[in-house]
Formats: sequence, C-alpha cells, structure tokens
Amino acid sequence: MTVRHRGALAAMAAGATALTLAGVVACGSEAAEDVGGDEVAALASATTTPTTMPAASASGSVPVNAGTLPAGSEIVPPVKLSIPPIRVTASVNPVGVNERTDEFEVPPSVDQVGWYRYGPGLEADSGSVVIAGHVDSAEQGKGAFFRLRELDRGDTLTATGSDGAERRYRVVAREEYRKSKIPLDRYFARDGRPRLTLITCGGPFDAKTRNYRDNIVVTAVPA
Amino acid sequence: MQLAMFRRVAAGGAVAALTFAGVGAATMSPAYAASSKVSVVHGIPDTPVDVYVNGEKTLDNFKPGDVAGPLTLPEGEYDIALTKPGEAIDKAILKVDDAAVPGGANISLAAHLSADGKPLITPFVNDVSKVGAGKARLIVRHTAAAPAVDVRAGGKPVFENLTNPKEAKADVAAGTVKADVVLAGTDTVAIGPADLNLKEGTATIVYAIGSADGKNLDLVAQTIGGLHSAPGGVPSGTGGQAGTGVDTWWYVLAGAGVLLLVGGGARAATARAGRR
Repeated sequence: MTVRHRGALAAMAAGATALTLAGVVACGSEAAEDVGGDEVAALASATTTPTTMPAASASGSVPVNAGTLPAGSEIVPPVKLSIPPIRVTASVNPVGVNERTDEFEVPPSVDQVGWYRYGPGLEADSGSVVIAGHVDSAEQGKGAFFRLRELDRGDTLTATGSDGAERRYRVVAREEYRKSKIPLDRYFARDGRPRLTLITCGGPFDAKTRNYRDNIVVTAVPA
Repeated sequence: MQLAMFRRVAAGGAVAALTFAGVGAATMSPAYAASSKVSVVHGIPDTPVDVYVNGEKTLDNFKPGDVAGPLTLPEGEYDIALTKPGEAIDKAILKVDDAAVPGGANISLAAHLSADGKPLITPFVNDVSKVGAGKARLIVRHTAAAPAVDVRAGGKPVFENLTNPKEAKADVAAGTVKADVVLAGTDTVAIGPADLNLKEGTATIVYAIGSADGKNLDLVAQTIGGLHSAPGGVPSGTGGQAGTGVDTWWYVLAGAGVLLLVGGGARAATARAGRR
C-alpha cells in the first residue's frame, strides 16, 4: 500500500467522520414539534363565571357595591416548581416588568424562575398563571428551563404556593413561536380556564446578538 | 420617579366633566357597539334614594357611598329620577330628563353635591383604554361641596387645583400609595390620608364626596378591571446551548466531509490505477 493510497483513505475516513458528526448535530438540533395548540386556544376562549360584577339590564337587579377604597386581594404566589420528567426543582420569585424594556423580568439567576406577579396566582379560578425561566445564560450555563422543550402532553408537574399547598398540573401543550409572533395576550390572559403557562427561550440562537429567535411555551391544566 | 410621572400627566390630564348632552359628542361610538356600560355612584351624604330609569325603579334604597352597576344600556335617551326611598316618582328630589347615553362607552353617573352644596347628577366618561404592563390608572373626581383641592401621594401634590366637578387622571406604577386631599395650595388636610391599592391593569376612580361645611367629606371608589396589557416579551436565554437551528459551522464541516470523501476516493482510485 502506497503512502499516497494511505493518505487518500485517511482523508476519506476524516470526511466520513465530519459528515456523520454534522448529521448527528443536525438531527439532535431538530426543534420538537408543537402539540396541543388547539387546546391552548380553547382554554383561553372558554368562558368562566366572571369574577367582576356581572352586567345587568336596566330592568333586572343591579349589583350594588360599597364604594370602599380597594384593598389588596388574597393572592397565592407560587414559591416552588417541581417538574419530575425533566428533573427540575426551582424556587419561584415574584417578578414584574423591566421598566426600560417593558419585558418580563426573568430572574437573573438561571436556577430560579419568575412568576408574573401582576397576573393570577395559584388560587385563581380563571386565567393564566405565568412562570418564565432561563433556558441558559452565557455566564451561568444551563438554566432551570433548559429541558422545558422535552415536556410532552400528559407529563405532570407540581407548583407549591406560599400557603404550603401543592397543586398538580398536567401538560396539555408545547408550542414554539418566533418572539415576533407569539400571542402574548393569550398567555398573559386573566380570563379563560385556569392554567399554568411556562415560558423559556428556544429555537435558533443568534451568536452575534446573543438571542434566541423563539419562545417555548408549555401549557398545563390542574390535574 | 412615580411622583414625577403623576405630575406630568396630571398637568394635561384634568378633563372637564361633561354636561349630559355633551357625552354623546365626547365619545366616538363604534357602529357595532350600540350599548354602554353605566355605573351609578352615590355621593350625596345622609340621603338614601330610589333610582328610577325611564320611570322604572332600578335601584331600591341606594345608599350614600355605594356604587351600582354596571348596567348595560342601549344607546339612547333616558329619564333619570332620584326619590326618597319609597316615595312616588313625581316627588323626585333630583331629575334629569332625556339624558343622552352614547353607544360603546363606559360611563359613571355621579349623584353628588355641587361646589355650593346643591345636589346634581354629573356624567363622567371613564377612560377604559388599556394600561401598560405593570401600570394602573388613577382617576380622581372632585364631586364634593368644597373649594379647589390638591391630591397628594406620599405628601407630594400630584393633581393640583382640582375643582368640582372635574377629574384628573394618570397611569402610574401599580402598587399602594398613601394619598390625601388638601385645600389647593395649602397643607390643610381635607380628606385622608388613605392607602390606595392600585391594582395592575385596573382603573381606580376615587370620588371626593360630601360637604366641607357639613364636615362629612369622604371618598368613594369605583374600580374597573380588565385593562391590562401583556409584557413586551419574555427574554430568557443568552447562552446558546439550547439552540435548535443548525449553526453555519456544521454546514461547513459537512461540506468539508464531502470534499474529503470525494477527494480521497479519487486519489485512492488513481493510486490503484497507477499500480496496475
């Protein structure tokens, strides 16, 4: 066997390796398919008994309230989130909106997740409880919701409230949206059936702007 | 920061209360929305009333400080009368005929005292446009027999020189503020202080009612919910470890692999041919 021949074989082997590697990466990077989108739309549009005063006709009985100054209502914030199928146990912090960007203030520490404190708490009988967490960060590595996109219909998770009570949820949908197209009003709704919405980032990553293109949204209902 | 914003909006935000006939002109009603939501606020001290709409008793023994509604009223003209509880409508103590209710609006009818102490009904059109994420709307209405006032939050004036029957409003960060009402330009407290819990995504409407002479000035509140907006986005990753798109470098690698395979194969073939 000539040296030239051996070199050619080595080149072929290297080429095969490179191709296989690239192929494996490509397959592994395939975005998981959306499931349950219709169900999410149905949950959002479902009418529940209104928590506000019902409208009355002029002839019917009209609701009358004492015009006392509004007091704070009893809200049960989630304090712990446990998602056994993806081995997540995370502290939940109440968060709001970043004043400068008007965006959801996801906790900077990637092993913690944030509950949208302006929306419903765990006690609510309508609307979407929203918890968002980092998929990862450049400085801290993998985040609590790194494997969120692996969740599937039927998986169960538990949210513990500040009252100590655990509430079980069952995943009904996993969706991926471009951030420019995501119907945020649906996920931050305060009406519709009670549900838990988990949000993180996903999709292709732009290394220049250090941004993911998409949001991964998992919707769960009380189990 | 919050106070600064209060003041900025308050300067331009004082809206003249509308006369009844003016309501229609002030609210553009979309063609599809033919009815309006109407609430009634009772701000006349010591005077429970029955409320008649078009001659029909709609509220029985409606008490000072209470808020009724919202009623859904089709666009049109209404006769409204207030009587002492149980008395006949022809003995009404306050009457407004042919009050125009436009379509598609949210209106509060305040029964209250004028600046000089006469009972009257003032319609207010409620601003029910969406507030930004994290914000709440505060609307203050002077419906008391009292001179001009300043409304303060945390001791600083936020709405100044408000007179009966006008309103001032601002969208502010949601949360609790300690508010009081002082005689305009002074530190003489007329009402309060009171803690106001301004819930995100709501409009809290506070009416100053009663009479300074009668020493029964008070506050009545009405809350309108469902005005919230979603945040602008959910940024939740900067690492790139979970990226699903195939990075360009992997395409380069695959391309290089193909070249090596083809090139190596060709060389091997020519080498074999050379040996033969």
